[in-house]
Amino acid sequence: MQPDRHAPPSSLSRARTRAFRLNGRAHAALVADHVLLLDYLREGLGLTGTKRGCDGGECGACTVLIDGRPRLACLTRAGECAGHQVETIEGLADGGRMSPLQRAFHERLGTQCGYCTPGMIMAAEGLLRRNPDPDEAAIRAALAGNICRCTGYVKIIEAVQSAAGSAR
Amino acid sequence: MSVLPEFRVLAPRSVAAAIAAGRQRATRFVAGGTDLMANLRHGIGAPATLIDLRGIRALRGIVVGPRGLSLGAAVTLAELAGHARVAKDYPALAQAAAAVGGPAHREAGTVGGNLCLDTRCVFYNRGDWWREANGHCLKYQGDTCHVAPTGRRCHAAFSGDLAPALLVHGAEVEIAGPDGQRRMPLGELYAEDGAAHLRLATGEFLVRVLLPPAPWPAAYAKARARGAIDFPLAGVAVALRVGAHGVAGLRVALTGTNARPFLLAGTEALLGARVDAGWCAELGKLVQKQVSPMRTTLLAAQYRRRAASALVERLAVTLADATAASARDGHEMVRQAK
Amino acid sequence: MTARRNAWDVVGQPTPLIDGIEKVTGKAQYTADLPAPGALVGGILRSPFSHARILRIDTSAARALPGVRAVITGEDCAFTYGVLPIAMNEYPLARAVVRYRGEPLAAVAAVDEASAAQALRLIRFEVEELPAYYTAHAARAADAIPLHADKPGNIERAVHHRFGDVEAGFAEADLVSERVYRCAEVAHAQMELNAALAEYDPARDHLTLRSTTQVPYYVHLMLARCLAMDMSRIRVVKPFVGGGFGARVETLNFEIIAALLARAAGGTVRLQLSREETFLTHRGRPETEVRLKLGMTRAGRLTACACEVVQRGGAYAGYGVITILYAGALLHGLYDIPAIAYDGFRVYTNLPPCGAMRGHGSVDVRFAFESLLDAMAAEAGLDPFAVRRANLLAAPSETQNGLRIESYGLGECLDWVERASFWGERHGRLGPGRGLGMACSHYVSGAAKPIHWTGEPHAVVHLRLDFDGGITLLTGAADIGQGSSTVMAQAAAEVLGIRLDRVRVVAADSLLTPKDNGSYSSRVTFMVGNATIDAARALRARLVAAAAERLGAPEEAIACEHETFHVAGEDGREMDFAEVARAALARDGGAITAKGSFTCPVAFQGGKHKGGAVGATMGFSYAAQVVEVAVDIDTGMVTVEKVWVAQDCGFAINPLAVEGQIQGAVWMGMGQAIGEETRYEHGLALHASLLDYRVPTILDSPPIALHIVESIDPNGPFGAKEASEGALAGFLPALANAIADAIGLRPDELPVTPDRLLEALAKRRRERRLARALEGVA
Repeated sequence: MQPDRHAPPSSLSRARTRAFRLNGRAHAALVADHVLLLDYLREGLGLTGTKRGCDGGECGACTVLIDGRPRLACLTRAGECAGHQVETIEGLADGGRMSPLQRAFHERLGTQCGYCTPGMIMAAEGLLRRNPDPDEAAIRAALAGNICRCTGYVKIIEAVQSAAGSAR
Repeated sequence: MSVLPEFRVLAPRSVAAAIAAGRQRATRFVAGGTDLMANLRHGIGAPATLIDLRGIRALRGIVVGPRGLSLGAAVTLAELAGHARVAKDYPALAQAAAAVGGPAHREAGTVGGNLCLDTRCVFYNRGDWWREANGHCLKYQGDTCHVAPTGRRCHAAFSGDLAPALLVHGAEVEIAGPDGQRRMPLGELYAEDGAAHLRLATGEFLVRVLLPPAPWPAAYAKARARGAIDFPLAGVAVALRVGAHGVAGLRVALTGTNARPFLLAGTEALLGARVDAGWCAELGKLVQKQVSPMRTTLLAAQYRRRAASALVERLAVTLADATAASARDGHEMVRQAK
Repeated sequence: MTARRNAWDVVGQPTPLIDGIEKVTGKAQYTADLPAPGALVGGILRSPFSHARILRIDTSAARALPGVRAVITGEDCAFTYGVLPIAMNEYPLARAVVRYRGEPLAAVAAVDEASAAQALRLIRFEVEELPAYYTAHAARAADAIPLHADKPGNIERAVHHRFGDVEAGFAEADLVSERVYRCAEVAHAQMELNAALAEYDPARDHLTLRSTTQVPYYVHLMLARCLAMDMSRIRVVKPFVGGGFGARVETLNFEIIAALLARAAGGTVRLQLSREETFLTHRGRPETEVRLKLGMTRAGRLTACACEVVQRGGAYAGYGVITILYAGALLHGLYDIPAIAYDGFRVYTNLPPCGAMRGHGSVDVRFAFESLLDAMAAEAGLDPFAVRRANLLAAPSETQNGLRIESYGLGECLDWVERASFWGERHGRLGPGRGLGMACSHYVSGAAKPIHWTGEPHAVVHLRLDFDGGITLLTGAADIGQGSSTVMAQAAAEVLGIRLDRVRVVAADSLLTPKDNGSYSSRVTFMVGNATIDAARALRARLVAAAAERLGAPEEAIACEHETFHVAGEDGREMDFAEVARAALARDGGAITAKGSFTCPVAFQGGKHKGGAVGATMGFSYAAQVVEVAVDIDTGMVTVEKVWVAQDCGFAINPLAVEGQIQGAVWMGMGQAIGEETRYEHGLALHASLLDYRVPTILDSPPIALHIVESIDPNGPFGAKEASEGALAGFLPALANAIADAIGLRPDELPVTPDRLLEALAKRRRERRLARALEGVA
């Protein structure tokens, strides 16, 4: 069990234990009702791959998968995850080997500064699980909530296409 | 570690339990939270208790049948946008659902949440420091509307995408609360006051949305500055039925331009005519007369007025053309059969 | 060109970033990600007033709150800071006067967020409000009181430059046009929020600051100044940085505030700004008005240019003097123009200060220039490409304001985009609502004269070789996502004849790495790249000497490629890299550190006139682009369908990264052109969120076809020049010109948001009606 070490005592008194699966493993979280998933992941668990880029629901940098679907960790309460599967960027590499999307983003320069990258890859991962062979329009639609300030999205689209192609 | 004020969350499993929970003081109902959480993060509101409605079976599910369409208030926008029957029979609804935010907003956001969305304004959707530096506003903690300082009401705009698409289909809403359940036309849910735009009593919440069968052909379009993560500057839905003697039925509804979504009045004057340039100009005038966008967005209010009428005219033409085309196809098939 | 590319093994090859794996796996630690158990939480109290004298700040209640460890105000720091030694006029926390809404007044450090927030609410202050000015016009009014006592009329800097005989130039022109253009203020909106982690060790009086910066050295200088600490007691580290685009090319108030709080609390303070606060600390491109007049002959040859620029600079100096000088200096260096007159005014206003943003100073003026040029070409019945070609420069040459052009690939850029876009067949023929537009642009490869003139080289790099046979490259250069560390590793590997993965880069940690001025004005590849080559050559000489000794051959006969040292022209006598490294360590007395440096010769440091150093560089990049648009005249929406861009970057050391930089630059230009703008309501930022500051989404972003032109600059590393800024400015006018092609209306105000476009169309209809009515009267 992972206590939420930065929560003030008053929150801790309201904290409840909730069971969910995090990156494929069973996880019991002791967390107060009003704690956001983003803060719980980053501060409670040290999983800092999920980024904060805005003041709430504006940029997509904190995109994670809940039951395989993209969700914004900055608008989601940690407590909502009880009984569900949560996946973050840290859970994608299998045995330390980059996933096809991670490899493609790296090799095709789908990442520059890298700050939007975890959210972008998680959104793309959600897409490829539902639709392993998306056309360009489907890729654009799936990534529409993720803002990137570096790439102009050109190489991000190429990276997703390449990952989809390599999986075929 | 939280950027949110402290609150506790209740997750009732039945409508009755939710009603009971709602009797406590300082509660807020929540579903996807895409609107409420962002506001709480900005220091707007400090509920002691949130009541998460998503665990209630009666609020779930999309049912399409001979009696029409029934949408649970907790149906997500992604479910609605991706529902094959809805897309076929009620395309305006699927289009409106798909136009909300980005994909992750639609995974969390719900039908009920989008219909009960808080109104929005550039002077309201701000952090604590900002609102305080601006002397607060009529909608929250202040007494002046910065949009119209001499007036006495709040002009924040309703910005949900779904409402107009439901209004043109004659939707009704089923509401539960301490005084029991009631059902009313969707339009009556709203009032033209940005600070109190929902006609819901304390402890009331949306259960289902009901649409009659045999919907008219309809479509939704949204004026927006960019392709996603944008609230409607103006969102319009048009339902149009064309008969042998021209337009036989016309309903137009709008969002983003007023404190409430509303059905355009006076469309009956346009019945029985052909959809041509003159007809469109009349329709456009009707729209321009009834929308009242104010300075609640960074894009000019006058633009939202113009865009609303342009989109309404465009949808009407598109729907009329589609009807004419399918009629032609029909004739063609009949001829071939002969 | 192909032959030359084949001459290299490592440079010129598309190379994924050497720190890319960390980014795609979530392991990369940005400032806010750094573990700091027990760190205090910092928070800033910001001024709600635009302009006010501070009478009293009462922090007693905040100090008395349990959990609060430090409360500071302007009283705690009496030193100004600023990026230009001549214009340091900002305090980390306002003293005596606040000059914009959002300026820090006080700051707290507490044990948790809730206590910090509560403490900020408990601080009381009294002020006397002063008149505030939100436009350059208002601030320049005769009765306006100055924001800064030393700048009457609120003119931070006026520039008046005359080169050539402008009057004569206009007199000999067949066509003279003049027009006013306006560009809204824009912000970098880098994805990573501003953050700093300050650790103060009271026992040793040592400070370590980790921060979201592009310029760790400048931050180091300002920390020493504002905390009055010896520089040797300070360590500045740049972790992974989530983009900059110029937002972080000067020390920012929150960095100093974090350090002040850490010292006051005697511990570690984490300060993370919200998106709103990050916008308030924006240092973006100023709102600019450009009045431009051009003279042209019937054949399209430019005869003269007169340009007046007014920039609304905000409340403090920042880079303002440089920005207003760049705006004039870079009228030169793209085309051959016989006479140029420039008048620039940088104006103080009660708004958050502007600064440097990608394409610093050149962008809004280029919008005006290429827009007017296009309009004049149309009036003269000339093709836009022909007009550009009629005014090309030649290399080598020197411009009237003393800028040296050593390589010039603009002609090739024009040829490619014209061909690739099928311009000849498609321009003017795409049908209603669709159009093509083109424009050119350029940018510097680093400022040839540094801001802080110390007599040191412009860049220094160390290479270290020790027992493990790995090469450690130590550089102060800040990789902010552009891939500078990868370029340095490639350059070192190329010169040494070794595999890329034998080089590991340690960057931007003042404890370890040599000083570097930072990542701005596209200086890093050019300057630090050359220093890396110099260092690698020095190390190679020592390896070759050791190899020569072992192989019994003269040093000049030793060649090294693919990690093998051999005697040129002979078979058999060779040593692998590991053997040579061991031999060199034995011969040189152990671990080897080789130093390389680079200095821009004085000859490149610009004209002798006042401000002449700004714009001076050793190599200009050149870009041409064609933009295709669709315009919806009912909704005012402009859709960018496609972009073709060619850029002369000298030589692409990492073509993959060069492509990414050019695409990103074009796209950022698009954001400014179609939607991005800051807005203030009585000085209060209305745009301070990513909902209201509308960065384009993937749905708004076009395919970008690109072509790299390699002119091989004689001074660039392997011939390389700038690659990440030059193409930005061209997008704006290319878009405006495309709109003109589509609907016959030339936008003179950016961004072309749908409301502005519909308003412009309505205005045109009114004017046409009026004209018809007048004809009727006549």
